[in-house]
Amino acid sequence: MPLAIFLITLAFLIVVQSAIPFLLKRTIVFGVTIPEEHAMDSSLVSFRRKYSAAVFIIGTISLIFLVLWSANASVSENQLVITGLAIQTGLLLLSMALYLFFHAKTTNLKKVKDWNSRFTQIRVADLQSHSKDSILPNFMYVLPMFVTVGLIVYTASQYNLLPDQIPIHWGPSGEPDAFSQKTPFSSIALLLMLLVLQVMMLGINAAAKLSGVKLNAGKKKSSQLQQLAFRKYTSWFLLLTTILLTILFGFMQLTTIHGALQNDTLMMALPLGFLVLMLALSAVYAFKVGQGGSRIPVSIEEDETSSVTDDDMDDHWKLGVFYVNKQDPSIFVEKRFGIGWSINFGNPIGYLVLFVPIVLILLIAFFV
Amino acid sequence: MFIQIEPSSDIPIYTQVANQIIELIARGQLKGGDTLPSVRALASDLSVNMHTVNKSYHELEQKGILRIVPKSGAVINPIVQEWLTNENSRKIIGQLKPIIAEALVLGMSPDEIRQHASSILNDLKGE
Repeated sequence: MPLAIFLITLAFLIVVQSAIPFLLKRTIVFGVTIPEEHAMDSSLVSFRRKYSAAVFIIGTISLIFLVLWSANASVSENQLVITGLAIQTGLLLLSMALYLFFHAKTTNLKKVKDWNSRFTQIRVADLQSHSKDSILPNFMYVLPMFVTVGLIVYTASQYNLLPDQIPIHWGPSGEPDAFSQKTPFSSIALLLMLLVLQVMMLGINAAAKLSGVKLNAGKKKSSQLQQLAFRKYTSWFLLLTTILLTILFGFMQLTTIHGALQNDTLMMALPLGFLVLMLALSAVYAFKVGQGGSRIPVSIEEDETSSVTDDDMDDHWKLGVFYVNKQDPSIFVEKRFGIGWSINFGNPIGYLVLFVPIVLILLIAFFV
Repeated sequence: MFIQIEPSSDIPIYTQVANQIIELIARGQLKGGDTLPSVRALASDLSVNMHTVNKSYHELEQKGILRIVPKSGAVINPIVQEWLTNENSRKIIGQLKPIIAEALVLGMSPDEIRQHASSILNDLKGE
């Protein structure tokens, strides 16, 4: 079972990581803004290809190694888990190292070729962007919380039914493998974590709503459509994640209360189904939407303006990954290398939205 | 209704924003009663400080071009003749004078100046 999980996630990682340069906007290469007409410069094309090829080949070799090695009967489950995790971490570190390498090369190339000097850098906004914005309303994220609160009340009412040992960790086969003494707190710890996660998702949605719609100077209209689509689909993606999490956690809580519900197949299928569904959703999202909606097809005629280009903001993007801009009131910004939102590290509200929930969850886990 | 700013320009960003909004009104794209986006929304779209946008809105309010209403935000005033008071027209003429003088000093002929003025008017008023 752990082997299947590792193979699925590893395959997913290989496909998505190696496809990333091709899912991004053409004008942001390894975290560096390149004027539209140079975006397909032959060196840049080769950087993209080299990155993808390296991640794909090394990833595939390690995947094959994992399969062959695990066929060896003497391998224990523990060894398998550790090797599987090591390979995944290794692949992520490798992509990061490659990213940094090509980020430096692209930065240098941009400087050497002096691509910026012929253009006036501008920033564009549409006064109507926010009235056209269709990020889901925040109350949609409040609805799943009612399920959680309902389950907390239900758990309290069934307190006598609960076993003396509350499961707090589940093994790869879905069987609980760690327990804690029954207390009012430990009986609902799982639901409290779920509630924190739901609040975090709500916070992300609310913060995304308050973040700027950044348009591309050369393609105002089409970039606006793509941005709005990106915002809409990202908030749908988050809501689906919240719903799936609610189902998963809610089910685990119910099986704890009613031992009779503990069906072996279901206990195994549900977390695995959750994993597969999440990976599939992310892949569909990544390939359909792309960075900032760059893969959403739009056919709109744009007025050609060749003398202006986007303000590159490269100074605000440390290593092309971390956005630090104290002036910008946006809490989140679109990722530069990857798909989705990233924090504006110049705006402390972003830390609150992401790190406070993580700390809370760790605290709950620690005190159970 | 796009507005664009040039961060590296000598003209301060709040002036650029205010000028672009005035231009949209002159072109008839923004009309009396229309609301402008919130200061926060426009500032995050342009990645500029909220004070910058706030300053533009207040400048426009001082000129009588918009009204800042608590809760509903910045609303464009209907263009009415009353706003063109003697004082206002004196101010605008006062601002035109040095520009025309500069054009003459740099060698632009009066005819050229008239031509440019009417082509700007055509651009703003034309379809």
